[in-house]
Amino acid sequence: MSELQLVQILSPEGELLTDPEYLLDISTEEIRALYRDLVMVRRFDVEATALQRQGELGLWAQSLGQEAAQVGSGRALIPGDYAFPTYREHGVAWAKGVPPEKLLGMYRGINHGGWDPRDNDFHLYTLVIGAQTLHATGYAMGIQRDKSNNAVIAYFGDGATSQGDVNEAFTYASVYHAPVVFFCQNNQWAISQPIESQTKVALYKRAAGFGFPGVRVDGNDVLAVLAVTRAALARARAGEGPTLIEAFTYRMGAHTTSDDPSRYRLAQELDEWKLKDPIARVKSYLTRNSLANEEFFAGIEKEAEAVASKLRSDIIDAEDPYVEAIFDYVYAEPHPILDAEKSAYINYLESFTEGEKK
Amino acid sequence: MITLGKAINMGLRRALTEDPKVLVMGEDVGKLGGVFRVTENLQSEFGEDRIIDTPLAESGILGTAIGLALRGYRPVCEIQFDGFVYPAFDQITSQLAKMHARSLGTLKLPVVVRIPYGGGIGAVEHHSESNETYFAHTAGLRVVTCSNPNDAYWMMQQAIQSDDPVIFFEPKRRYWDKAEVNEEAPSLGLHETRTVQEGNDLTLISYGPTVRTAIEVAAVCAKEGRSVEVMDLRTLSPLDLAPVFESAQKTGRVVILHEAPTFLGLGAEIASQITEECFYSLDAPVLRVGGFNVPYPPARLEEHYLPDLDRTLDAIDRAFAF
Amino acid sequence: MALRDFRLPDVGEGLTEAEILQWYVAVGDVVTINQMICEIETAKAAVELPSPYAGTVTALKVNQGETVDVGTVIITIEDGVAGESAPAAPAEDDRNLEVPTGKPKQAAVLVGYGVKEGQTPARRARKAASGTQEELGESIVVELHDGPVVAKPPVRKLAKDLGVDIRRIRKSGNITRSDVLDAAMALHGMEQPPATTYDPHREDRIPVKGVLKEMAQAMTTSAFTAPHVSVWLQVDVAKTLKAVKKLKDWEEFEGLRVSPLLIVAAAVLQAAKEFPKINSSWDEANHEVIIRRYINLGFAAATPRGLLVPVIHEADGMDIPTLAKELMALVDTAREGRTPPNRMQHGTITITNVGVLGIDGGTPILTPGQGAILAVGQIREIPWTVKGKMKVRPICQLTLSFDHRMIDGELGSRFLARIGALLEDPSELYDESDAGDDE
Repeated sequence: MSELQLVQILSPEGELLTDPEYLLDISTEEIRALYRDLVMVRRFDVEATALQRQGELGLWAQSLGQEAAQVGSGRALIPGDYAFPTYREHGVAWAKGVPPEKLLGMYRGINHGGWDPRDNDFHLYTLVIGAQTLHATGYAMGIQRDKSNNAVIAYFGDGATSQGDVNEAFTYASVYHAPVVFFCQNNQWAISQPIESQTKVALYKRAAGFGFPGVRVDGNDVLAVLAVTRAALARARAGEGPTLIEAFTYRMGAHTTSDDPSRYRLAQELDEWKLKDPIARVKSYLTRNSLANEEFFAGIEKEAEAVASKLRSDIIDAEDPYVEAIFDYVYAEPHPILDAEKSAYINYLESFTEGEKK
Repeated sequence: MITLGKAINMGLRRALTEDPKVLVMGEDVGKLGGVFRVTENLQSEFGEDRIIDTPLAESGILGTAIGLALRGYRPVCEIQFDGFVYPAFDQITSQLAKMHARSLGTLKLPVVVRIPYGGGIGAVEHHSESNETYFAHTAGLRVVTCSNPNDAYWMMQQAIQSDDPVIFFEPKRRYWDKAEVNEEAPSLGLHETRTVQEGNDLTLISYGPTVRTAIEVAAVCAKEGRSVEVMDLRTLSPLDLAPVFESAQKTGRVVILHEAPTFLGLGAEIASQITEECFYSLDAPVLRVGGFNVPYPPARLEEHYLPDLDRTLDAIDRAFAF
Repeated sequence: MALRDFRLPDVGEGLTEAEILQWYVAVGDVVTINQMICEIETAKAAVELPSPYAGTVTALKVNQGETVDVGTVIITIEDGVAGESAPAAPAEDDRNLEVPTGKPKQAAVLVGYGVKEGQTPARRARKAASGTQEELGESIVVELHDGPVVAKPPVRKLAKDLGVDIRRIRKSGNITRSDVLDAAMALHGMEQPPATTYDPHREDRIPVKGVLKEMAQAMTTSAFTAPHVSVWLQVDVAKTLKAVKKLKDWEEFEGLRVSPLLIVAAAVLQAAKEFPKINSSWDEANHEVIIRRYINLGFAAATPRGLLVPVIHEADGMDIPTLAKELMALVDTAREGRTPPNRMQHGTITITNVGVLGIDGGTPILTPGQGAILAVGQIREIPWTVKGKMKVRPICQLTLSFDHRMIDGELGSRFLARIGALLEDPSELYDESDAGDDE
């Protein structure tokens, strides 16, 4: 990765570097807090994966390996900033304060996204690739009209950059100077297709074609991501329009639990990226500089276990939806025809004798 | 007397005046005032922030409109021509239609999508489609269409006031039709069928551009001694069929007229529901008159394609022959 | 201490089975939550499964190398937690993604979408439809409502084919095939009176429907198909009256109405058993006479709805107390107008009690499909002779009409004479233990 041009502040070995363009003002306490975030997010993701393997979830999209990209950018946001995720931004959800168990509902099949986006300014997960980048841009256009100081961050992957919607979002954001940060996690793979099948040019360079700046950052370096995202958000708030951040990272797990990466990538690649682990480098930095002791790390581990344990019991106890939920939320305004359809179906269900409940 | 296009303009103007959150956005809607001049002079009055000329990207129009709606605005999007809505189809059906249900009611998208539709203007390809059925078939959307200036004026405002996404189909060949507009109060709600004129022998149902055709057909029938009841559906989803059933029970014969192809057109749905609800009253099966099941033909052939007075009378004759 | 089953989950969105490649644990091993316990291979990938429970392995239910369906229990772990063993998932064919109850329930493991082989499709049991079967009474009372002509399309076609103007069929509600046929017959048989205006001050018009229509149709059919012959007999019913008094006091008849009609019924039944050919029916279609070996005894009744003929089914097998009970129920129900349709069907012989109306006798018309009908007149005190001496006696006139296609004068007469004899001395009809004095 050192051959690549990218912003890096914390090396894989845990050494602090300086990037002249992205000076980071950060305290030890804040770094320890970031470390905690990273560990919690990874533990959450590991537990969710296990729950899927145990049949509690039909599917899970793992964020494994991308914790720094998500936590670093998520922690750059100020209250009122709005995030539009894809379906893998569990680390951003954590940073925004979304209760972790709520992310599992759609993967368990009990809803299509079980949290109120307005509670934490974190939009529901969007499964249509790239669609949310336009929503983010429109939201930012709304912020402009409100003359608010907030900004929007739109998350998407390397594969999404091929989608028309993403390119249209770049167009709209640039001509309107919309206060939106386009945060692309280039995790090198779109299911089984490598980055080379999506683009002939480094993704961050795309922005130039649309007339706004692009920057590539080490996606596994939480400090660099934090610095770069803060800068981009500042630009947005200042009315200077969008920025494209390419967070260069790696999808350590499969695309989802239905996927088998061994069919298209080599174990060796995985091993190489393990050496660049986002959490290890922070631990290394803290330890080496005596900024955290065993007690601190043990406390974090214990807390992580509690998070995992709570997640497990929360999801196992999660209520299944009422059948009325199929009908009740389709329209905001009254809809007598749909009401009649619902009543007819409820009556039909009640016409069966007890015993085999559907 | 006001043209239908102008009536829409007046309706938009009134909505923009009454609610500062209303926006108009689309290609060429601002400076130019729209290719049909429907949004004429709005930008000079309400400014570029509210009347937005967008890049040439339909999916982008819808997607950003959704984002604006999430932020609390009420965007009225324009798709320049029916045939160009398809790039936005995903944003409309996967996002606009579903987000309220997906979010269990927490996110509302009060977006209006205006689409000029239908043929009869001698246009080149893709400018004469009737694709309302794709949207009527999509749960979560509301779909309406006006046939006259008074409805155009009021239904536009009502659509903007709805908290649900509304696809608003404008019959482009009727943009220059003139009629009185009552600016005091609307005569009907957004989702109500209108009985245009009463009759006893046969019910003729239509919507949008072919309502005028239906009225002409009824006049000819009257001369021939047949009393035809003409109904303008106005709302395609949800359908308001109670008045239609009442009419069918009265007359016993029904013909449905629309420009869209008959195969899986709205007429098919209505015919099915009439048969179910009015079976004992029918003297003849419900007949449909519509476009052929072909891509819209070149302008010089469109007269053959579009269901006109004689094709409709032919269907009525067949209905009476049963 | 609860035993927990772990069922093979669908790990890849729609997988139906997997092979257990390797067990990492053995029976007796202690495992923690998420400890990898086995490796499985599916159509999509080889995957390790983490244990959902902490505890001791009590059983490995599947062997290494075995392929099993999603949903099969693969391992059982005792979790050392007090409380009842809860299975990891409810019964077999679980599709818990579609649960409509909304009640918090035992978490069900998602076990995939595949249909198990060998399950025969079967309909789920439904509750009996309640309260919607008003059709039972509909054939008798048709609702009045104004409105346009209501008829199924095929009926309209029939009307058209027969030249019937369906709008002139005077009926509210659904016009049936039979209505059209009636109208066609009328049309071709008779002139339709022109629809004229009438003066409501001087005449009333009653639509022919419901019971009125039924009666008209039945009487017309019967009168003009079966050649009716009537024979009559006057009977001294003094002993019948005595018997009635006596039976009233009997224990078996406590709470039951005992009337002369009951004795008549018993006499008819007895006589019909002795002359089975009287209990018959002319089957024109098959050109056969049907002689029935059971007697469904009908009683013509004037009810609030009009003339109806409720029936006591299998009356021939009843003793008199039972007959009394049935008759009482029949009469009460008919008086209230509540006789259900199935109680008015399949009569084989009928009694019509004209006596209650103060009539001596008449020429009753057969109930369509039956061979005989007995009219019972009033009981009058009139001068009579008993053993040559003039006395005033209670006398009842019986009139029997019968279908002379299959019942000749001799049979009819003998049948009626037998009834008369039984009424003159009904002692044969019941147990003689309390026989009264002979007059």
